[in-house]
Amino acid sequence: MAEPAYTVASDSENTGEEKSSSSPSLPEIAVGIDIGTSQCSIAVWNGSQVHILRNTRNQKLIKSFVTFKDEVPAGGVSNQLAHEQEMLTGAAVFNMKRLIGRVDTDPVVHASKNLPFLVQTLDIGVRPFIAALVNNAWRSTTPEEVLAIFLVELRLMAETQLKRAVRNVVLTVPVSFSRFQLTRIERACAMAGLHVLRLMPEPTAVALLYAQQQQMTSHDSMGSGSERLAVIFNMGAGYCDVAVTATAGGVSQIKALAGSAVGGEDILQNTMKHIAPPSKEASGLLRVATQDAIHRLSKQESVQIEVDLGDGDVVSKVLDRLEFEEVNKKVFEECERLVVQCLRDAKVDVGDIDDVIMVGGKEEIYKEVNPLEAAVRGAALEGAVTSGIHDPFGSLDLLTIQATALAVGVRANGNKFIPVIPRNTMVPARRDLFFTTVHDDQKEALIVNHLLGYFKIVGIPPSPKGVPEINVCMDIDASNALRVFAAVLMPGSKSPVVPVIEVRMPTVDDGHGWCAQALNAKFGSALDLVTLQRKV
Amino acid sequence: MRCYKGSSILATGHHPFFYKRPISSLPASFPSTTLSYPTRNRFLSTRIQARLIHDDPVKQSEDLSFYDLLGVTESVSLPEIKQAYKQLARKYHPDVSPPDRVEEYTDRFIRVQEAYETLSDPSRRVLYDRYLSMGFSFSFSGRRRNRYHEEVVDEKSEWKKKWQTQLSGLKKRSNQRDNNSMSWAARMRRQHHTSEDSSS
Repeated sequence: MAEPAYTVASDSENTGEEKSSSSPSLPEIAVGIDIGTSQCSIAVWNGSQVHILRNTRNQKLIKSFVTFKDEVPAGGVSNQLAHEQEMLTGAAVFNMKRLIGRVDTDPVVHASKNLPFLVQTLDIGVRPFIAALVNNAWRSTTPEEVLAIFLVELRLMAETQLKRAVRNVVLTVPVSFSRFQLTRIERACAMAGLHVLRLMPEPTAVALLYAQQQQMTSHDSMGSGSERLAVIFNMGAGYCDVAVTATAGGVSQIKALAGSAVGGEDILQNTMKHIAPPSKEASGLLRVATQDAIHRLSKQESVQIEVDLGDGDVVSKVLDRLEFEEVNKKVFEECERLVVQCLRDAKVDVGDIDDVIMVGGKEEIYKEVNPLEAAVRGAALEGAVTSGIHDPFGSLDLLTIQATALAVGVRANGNKFIPVIPRNTMVPARRDLFFTTVHDDQKEALIVNHLLGYFKIVGIPPSPKGVPEINVCMDIDASNALRVFAAVLMPGSKSPVVPVIEVRMPTVDDGHGWCAQALNAKFGSALDLVTLQRKV
Repeated sequence: MRCYKGSSILATGHHPFFYKRPISSLPASFPSTTLSYPTRNRFLSTRIQARLIHDDPVKQSEDLSFYDLLGVTESVSLPEIKQAYKQLARKYHPDVSPPDRVEEYTDRFIRVQEAYETLSDPSRRVLYDRYLSMGFSFSFSGRRRNRYHEEVVDEKSEWKKKWQTQLSGLKKRSNQRDNNSMSWAARMRRQHHTSEDSSS
């Protein structure tokens, strides 16, 4: 039977069909990309091992930024900065990963207002206004656009070196990214002509690399061998992520994930606030000097900071380690909280942990894993595995079983969030819950998730409250696409009384910060749901 | 329970949804209602449909017990359950399954996962074994009506208790080591230096 010549791509940005698994025309080996807040890397399986690509300046770690000073914006892949200070003139936009998919009430956006480019907020729940300084004018852009410009350069670089088209990618993402943020990342990829095969939370990419190393050293057959438990701690400039993985015979099963938007950038900002007068925090020179001081502090007990900020303002300060730790106490406490939460969610005893892997930082603690390359290597391995590539030496006899980093659910029982798929559920997953009406003869019900979208179930037969059974089912496939189903059942009926509704989510676009209030104003509790109680 | 039976939809032809009447004698915590939603691929090609009907490994698995799903006996140990699960994952996970069978294998994978989740949790396994011995061969326990009320509350308190013991133990240990109020990073550095000294 002939395949249809043309298919209509779905209007929805992330369709299950489009994303699911490999295309028939194999093998295009998907590349792995690690988009960091401050630097990116790209790697691919070269037939026998993972190869990390280098830019024209022979760098494996490529600074993530785009400058808008010329007619054509140029990203960090091709662009050579004259010196570090050029990043700070306002013409360069960076920290895209911190800003993407966030509304202007988000504290992370507010913390970004000190950056040299323009981050303007109205504080009403819409996307922030972001602009670069070009010829003394603020030219607007978006985090998606900046990321897409950067990704196009990465793609061209890879295509030149691999001498083939590059379309499929496996991307690493922070654990704490919401589904909405993930769709923004996918949008940026689509703008750059890239097709996202898999999204991997960063520590799970590291976990896959760890699984491969376990597999290679133990020579177990597939799926066998004793299980090893590892905690992976990943801290970058923008995010801190933790994962617990159970590994045996090349299979990495993610037991739990925890993450938060704290990172080196927060440490930098806190330290800058500490050493400089409030009016001078946005100074680019201060940023560079502070960064340098923090790096030196990892080797010295104390450092001397001298910066001439102009206009007679001179910062002269001795900063020692205790002071530095005190200033950043909240950041360190948050890291500790994440580790504790992750271990608890994984339901493992601390004593059963076999390995602790630290990545993303400057220090190399776990010997076999280069901390700055681990995530991109893992992503490249997953790219090869999902592209259906086999390795005669068994280097690709690997599998990552992912878990949901965040719970997905609906609003019910008053204004409560009721998880349908709890966090740390293994994916692909499908779970459902039964709800019922809160009013007699309630004909309609609203299915609400403030970050993902809304839809209304209509045609519920007149009946006393608590009688109709409303089934809400959520389905997450391997490429992390979410579908929500809703069906209305009546006691005694053999099938749903109205057609089932199937919705691909998220359906919301920017400005979702407004919607909660708008929905409440319009409907109040008239279309509410409660979870169906046990019937004895 | 057959919540995700794409093949059953196709097999029954005209009825897109499968709904079983509750059996009144069942314990309330086990599923009484089954509901089938479409599988992931909503527009299956004719070729795949034909194969699903005639040669479908998932179809036969509907009435299997969790032990059958994992291909193990009822006396199996926990490490063996883990191993069986991982071996099946290698076969049915969508990352590694044959491209033309991803949909059906994914359904099977979710069922295997559910079996693993129940049988790898000692308390849930005991409960499941009890129901099994009463003559019910339920494949799916995760779809209880009141899952939210039962599980979430139970598990939270249990693990919280366990963790508080562990945490207090850890805190005690770290206090014994450092009577003074050194910061976490300072302790780490000291440990680092100590290990450097001992290795040199």
